[in-house]
Amino acid sequence: MYIIGENIHILSDKVKEALANRDREFFMEMAIKQVEAGAKAVDINLGPRKKDWDEVFPWIVETVETVVDVPLAIDTTNVDGMEAALKTIKKAQPILNSTSAEPERLEKVPLLAKKYGAKMIALTMGSEGIPVEAEARVNIAIETLIPRALEVGLPIEDLIIDPLVLTVSGCQQYCPHLIEAVRMLQYAWDPAPNISVGLSNVSNAVPNANRPLINRVYLAMLMGVGLQMMIANPLDEKQNDVIRWIETKDTSNPLGRVYNKIADRIAAGEEPQVEDFDLSDPEQAAIWKTTQILLNKVIYADGYLNQ
Amino acid sequence: MPIEIPKDKWPGSVQTVTLGATAAEGGTRTKTVTVGGQTSMPFMHFEAPAPHPPVVAIEIKSKRPEDWSPLLAETWGEAMDAPAKWAAKAQEAGADLLVLALTLNDTPESAVAATKAVLSASGLPLIVFGPGQVEKDNELLVAVAEAAKGEKIGLGICEDKNYRTIVATALANGHVVTARAPMDVNLSKQLNILITDMGLPLDRILMDPTTGALGYGMEYGYSVMERLRLAALQGDRMTQLPMIVTVGFEAWKAKEAKVGEGVPAAWGDWKRRAIHWETITAMALIESGADILVLRHPESVALIKAAIAELIPA
Repeated sequence: MYIIGENIHILSDKVKEALANRDREFFMEMAIKQVEAGAKAVDINLGPRKKDWDEVFPWIVETVETVVDVPLAIDTTNVDGMEAALKTIKKAQPILNSTSAEPERLEKVPLLAKKYGAKMIALTMGSEGIPVEAEARVNIAIETLIPRALEVGLPIEDLIIDPLVLTVSGCQQYCPHLIEAVRMLQYAWDPAPNISVGLSNVSNAVPNANRPLINRVYLAMLMGVGLQMMIANPLDEKQNDVIRWIETKDTSNPLGRVYNKIADRIAAGEEPQVEDFDLSDPEQAAIWKTTQILLNKVIYADGYLNQ
Repeated sequence: MPIEIPKDKWPGSVQTVTLGATAAEGGTRTKTVTVGGQTSMPFMHFEAPAPHPPVVAIEIKSKRPEDWSPLLAETWGEAMDAPAKWAAKAQEAGADLLVLALTLNDTPESAVAATKAVLSASGLPLIVFGPGQVEKDNELLVAVAEAAKGEKIGLGICEDKNYRTIVATALANGHVVTARAPMDVNLSKQLNILITDMGLPLDRILMDPTTGALGYGMEYGYSVMERLRLAALQGDRMTQLPMIVTVGFEAWKAKEAKVGEGVPAAWGDWKRRAIHWETITAMALIESGADILVLRHPESVALIKAAIAELIPA
């Protein structure tokens, strides 16, 4: 699993404060920790920085590149900020995060990727918002995102399609569609485009205590359909366990068996079945309930585990 | 060519809930009303007949409402000045049960007086709604619940901000709660989980999924209700509650129903339009699973009751 570490994000109060203080040590430590935990790239989301982008983007790139050699994902809607970051990057091939199929962004961001030899994440979202159906998301990739990459001369290997994870709390019906979109995208083009998702979006607006479990179960499902790249928290050890169990097909412990079973079922186009789980084990019972929420079989509620 | 109609068979069923208690059950109601019990989607008799068809409640107020449409004032006349008279007239108009809506000007004493007046004037089961402001609802509904102990009335509005108080008083006094969430399946279900966690059995909870009138978000309410009902039939316990919808409140807010002047002539006769607005909203919502319709105009009540009777096979 290629994890783009998500932890340098302006929504975090600590990040906000460290940025205000231009605290180089803080950002260096965050980058190192993520890479040591296995992140293959580091996402940098400091917002659009409309007023001070020409100072902030070069500063953060220089700071983080002082301590890590991995690619940086420049996560912003500010195209000028992106370019300022690209001009500063000296180490690995950067990732632009992101463009969508909206005309204005699709005009500018791919040109930047081409000019600086960057990879580019492209969201399957047009001007009309996010389509529900898996087919509609794949169509945006085939009809808009991939043709635009080809048009500007960006190699398909440098294109990363993000079919958009939405939260189970409020957009539950989208959750199974995203799984199918990931499955279908791999056959959408030859060579297959890279696919990445923002995993933890699936548990936005979910009480914090339940978020990691929902993330892990959804991850197992997505690995079942072949997901190999995601933006996620690389420090989440239980999540890393799930990745390892599935990647190595490690079924030597009960949870490893259960998560592998979920991935296998989804891979085969089946649904997890209640008999796959030992419901006398509270942890497995919670995983079973979570599969039912994520497959839109049982309506999500914050207290779904107590039901 | 013979056509075979495909039939769904569902593993789950809607909970039955009874409102009102007769003398034998410790109350003073002359009849009770039971809703729920469905094992199929609305009016799919060929799959499984519904044991309890939708029922109609008429909404009356504890004090003459100054903001209601003149059409409603015209039809209810002086009865609007006294909850007891209004209740009797609503019963005559064909209500299966009554909804007494309290106002922000009520005190616990006036709320109790209005409740008692309605309970003496009519033997129909009763639901009492607070004015919809959390603290005021708690203050009024606790007093009402205690005064109506044994009558098995419905208590609303029970929402995430005040459910503890309302559920506690329903538990203590043998009543039913109507749990309202703002047009959202996740929040509806969560509220039901929280309420049952307090120990109120499922057969004492109605859910109010919130709806909008025709032209004002009805389709959103419809989809939420349909989804809740499908989940109920699929076996999700925390969505298996009968649904109550405040159609009159929503429909008579709509300009098309409320206003007679300054609207395009093409809108046609005001009274006819207004009654249709309420009736059509109600009609759509029984198709998405509504069990209790709370209406305001007696002609809408007659129309919708006739429609329900027609939808049920003899």
